[in-house]
Amino acid sequence: MFGTTAKILRVNLTTGSLEVEQLSAEFYRLYPGGKALAGYYLLNELPPHTEPFSPENLLVLANGLLTGAPVSTATRYVASARSPLTNGYGESEAGGFWGPELKMAGFEALLITGRAPQPVYLWIKDGAVEIRPAQHLWGRTTGEVQAAIREELGDDKIRVLQTGPAGENLVRYAGLTNDLRHFNGRNGLGAVMGSKNLRAVAVRGRQRYQSLAYDPESLQALGRKLAKNVRQQPQSWDLQQHGTLGLVESLNNAGILPTRNFRQGAFEQVDQVKWEAYEKELFTAQRSCYACAIRCKREVALDGKPSIYGGPEYETLDAFGPNCGVGDLQAIAKANEMCNAYMLDTISTGATISFAMECFEHGLIGLEDTGGVDLRFGNAEAMLAMIEQIAWRRGFGDLLAEGSLRAAQKIGGDAIYFAIHVKGQELAMHDPRGKYNVGMGYAISEIGADHLVVPHDPALANPDSIPFKNALPLGITVAQPPRSLSDEKMHHFYVLERWVSFEKVVGYCFFGPAPRSFIHPDDVILSVKSATGWDFSIEEALQIGERATNMARLFNLREGFSRQDDHLPERFYQGLENGALQGEGMPRAEFEHALTVLYGMKGWDPETSRPTRAKLTELSLEWAADLVDSLDQA
Amino acid sequence: MRLSVGGYLGFYLPGFKRGLELELPQPTPLLEILANLGIPPAEVHLAVVNGQNEIPGEALISDSDEVKLFSAVDGG
Repeated sequence: MFGTTAKILRVNLTTGSLEVEQLSAEFYRLYPGGKALAGYYLLNELPPHTEPFSPENLLVLANGLLTGAPVSTATRYVASARSPLTNGYGESEAGGFWGPELKMAGFEALLITGRAPQPVYLWIKDGAVEIRPAQHLWGRTTGEVQAAIREELGDDKIRVLQTGPAGENLVRYAGLTNDLRHFNGRNGLGAVMGSKNLRAVAVRGRQRYQSLAYDPESLQALGRKLAKNVRQQPQSWDLQQHGTLGLVESLNNAGILPTRNFRQGAFEQVDQVKWEAYEKELFTAQRSCYACAIRCKREVALDGKPSIYGGPEYETLDAFGPNCGVGDLQAIAKANEMCNAYMLDTISTGATISFAMECFEHGLIGLEDTGGVDLRFGNAEAMLAMIEQIAWRRGFGDLLAEGSLRAAQKIGGDAIYFAIHVKGQELAMHDPRGKYNVGMGYAISEIGADHLVVPHDPALANPDSIPFKNALPLGITVAQPPRSLSDEKMHHFYVLERWVSFEKVVGYCFFGPAPRSFIHPDDVILSVKSATGWDFSIEEALQIGERATNMARLFNLREGFSRQDDHLPERFYQGLENGALQGEGMPRAEFEHALTVLYGMKGWDPETSRPTRAKLTELSLEWAADLVDSLDQA
Repeated sequence: MRLSVGGYLGFYLPGFKRGLELELPQPTPLLEILANLGIPPAEVHLAVVNGQNEIPGEALISDSDEVKLFSAVDGG
């Protein structure tokens, strides 16, 4: 078997047992890493209804097939478990250096269960594994812990994946970070790690991906070509130049820049937070993930001092900026730094605070609830105070650490209307009223509101554009406007969801393959062929992606989810208060019809969203068909 | 007229600029300006003229106008 170590490491933190397992070639072809491995093991090894913070919850950390290959954007690994935020299938991808290093150390995936009696961290070096005490690391920031582990083990090239104090304190949207700048932010997987008394997984390896590849010369040549293409293709050039920050002004002009808890689509202080201001006030340098020529990460300085945590990306900037009514870039950057030091998901943290600000504005909570914090929109100091309280579960922050849905249920009254979530997870900073397939992605995603389910609608609106032409090999043939829910638009969704899911299986970043970015689908397929020697096609790639999505769906069905959970927050059926799309809302009946059409394309029952036995058989998931049949008896 | 570009449209301007000043002796269709600058119209997702969103194929630009153009870009 080429392209993979095909080895997984099983860790039981209760007993301290460590077991290495070799995967078969037949198995790996069906489940070649990342999201697919996560779905398989969660479905097969996690008992139904396992409490997310119980020792039995299974934390999967899984590389993609291509993670670590010398190809730009093939850097990603997935973290997965039953989510404490959604109580459903939990998943979050990150790039950086940890995934490639894990592969160099000999493993594709870690399956972590149990709970250590005392805080520990894992140390993996060239196939050797050790569970080490971490009491001295507990309660310390991520920056301190990374430095301490590297010093303790005497190697400053060790890659450290860790949660932070927020994960230790079981904040339901605590995340993971590697190298302090790359984040498995969503779904509260850092809290799962914290619940296991596991603070970090440190890795160091010396095996090179090329020693695993079927045709290393071909892979190297492709990597060189793509690295050269980055600056010769507009989409990747843009990511290199501006990161994701260029979105601020463009979305503001389109009228869909989430502002004041998604009430508005345009922010009056946008000039203070757009890329030009960011470049002038904060930006110091570009930074990359492993072997990636794009370098979309931003390095920043706060108050003149370089930050060890990197700079805010678009989602973070809007979550703590316009969506909290804050136009102070320094405060936004400080919020980003605090979240990264404590390891809070910046999207859910910002969105939960903006939820609380709207509750405060409507008098559902007052100063007596917030401990005297004046939690009105635009109050940057109050926002920073809340981040501190959330991370340590102090004061009013203890309630907000539960996420906006649970907090709304506790506050009562109209608060539930202000909780902008799907399946309990807060929306990322894209207003679906201007991008209908993004809305469909929010609604249908198994992890709750997720903005990275399909490339966003504008990319495929013009048949002569570069993104559209690059989508043709995937089977998309008719351009569709962003604000359409036609059957053809659902076909876009059906194709693109499978393609993006495939990216999450094999380890590509959302910013790598077309149509979102610069790697032509033919080159994506070539990378898999060169790595593995497989006779591989776009059709097989789409099927791999669809198989992974269906396993995640099956996991949620088992936990009691159904069609009624695939919805949008009520706010989006109402009109925007300002901006270019003022007064425009998502058409409710059309949205429901489109969801039914999409279920049909996916081979799912229109009432329940259950995959048919025929669909599961088509996807080589016959083994899961009995699970669907058993749901009625459950 | 003052032109600024966002998203990946700067890729098409000389020196990868974000904007430039142009002299327009007479009102000129935006599509003609794009053609002169080498910006493919298909890549222009949003055109904003003096703060108002316009359809690129229909916009007529005068010398005193401020024009902002944006490509289609995603989050992440």
